[in-house]
Amino acid sequence: MASSLENLETQLEMFIENVRQIHIIVSDFQPQSQNVLNQKLQALVHGLQEVDKLKSHVQDVHVPLEVFDYIDQGRNPQLYTKDCIEKALAKNEQVKGKIDAYRKFKANMLVELSRTFPNELNKYRALRGDE
Amino acid sequence: MMGDQFRKVEQYSPKSSPRGARSPVVSRQDSSGTLKTTILLGKNPSIVPSGPFYLLKEPPVESELTGATNLMTYYGLEHSYSKFSGKKLKEQLSSFLPTLPGVIDSPGLQDNSSLRSVIEKPPIGGKELLPLTSVQLDGFRLHPGPLPEQYRYTNTVPIKKHKNKHKKHKHKEGGLPSQETTITDTANDTHEKKHKKQKRHDEDKERKKRKKEKKRKKQKHSPEHSGGLTPSQHSS
Repeated sequence: MASSLENLETQLEMFIENVRQIHIIVSDFQPQSQNVLNQKLQALVHGLQEVDKLKSHVQDVHVPLEVFDYIDQGRNPQLYTKDCIEKALAKNEQVKGKIDAYRKFKANMLVELSRTFPNELNKYRALRGDE
Repeated sequence: MMGDQFRKVEQYSPKSSPRGARSPVVSRQDSSGTLKTTILLGKNPSIVPSGPFYLLKEPPVESELTGATNLMTYYGLEHSYSKFSGKKLKEQLSSFLPTLPGVIDSPGLQDNSSLRSVIEKPPIGGKELLPLTSVQLDGFRLHPGPLPEQYRYTNTVPIKKHKNKHKKHKHKEGGLPSQETTITDTANDTHEKKHKKQKRHDEDKERKKRKKEKKRKKQKHSPEHSGGLTPSQHSS
């Protein structure tokens, strides 16, 4: 997985570099550059072919749509990852807090109930078994 | 009064129960938490609970993984967490993709280059990509000379951020001198700047040193500092 992504990344980088070089050639075109330009254009097609070939290797990569919003706004997509991790951790802590609170509540409730209704609680414990 | 009670009991007879004509005597899995009671008739009718009371609902099946577990550890994401939580990330997209040429920090909607638009309006695909024929290449025959002003845009590449790893692409396929020279120029520039900075830093250091020495000399000659020991030095 990692290698296919790296391959795609390399291909895209090479493609972008090729486009950048075409930009330089055409921005102040010299007649003797025509051959180089033609080569670069062919390389562009070849680059697209390579990217197309790699398409099947990254089919199972899922990207959250929100990441695209970050990129479209010119923001670092790692900020999205950071936000996600922080939110997940906060939620994890919150839920753990709730679970712990319920556990304590249950223990306290059993203590108090056994004080007030000892017989019923004994029956309850006998029926439950695992309590 | 008593008759009323009996009539009420009759109302809840199995025939009219919402469960249909099933007898309540027939034992069945009870997960609804209904209260099972025995009704004794006679002189002193009484209702005695005979089954488990409503608190004894079947407990929910406990799932193996809950929020009580540290999910970050469970999924082995601690490394990612420590990577992102500690350092302050730079806001700009260019800090994430330092090798990309051009201005990439501006909103994609401005120049119609947003990724959203690719999803909303996917490009036409499915056709085989073939190399251009010589006839097709004729369409790319250009006039010599620079581009008109409106098509020129300043290529503000964050060159200094380029990593060595990616530099290899630049020298491929007959490099382009104009851009290369700018790269080397800027590299030299930064080097010179660094050098100047270093020089200034050294000068500052020397000046401070001289000042210190002067101070020391002054203290030696002052009447307060007669070369004797301070009280703390005495005690030791």
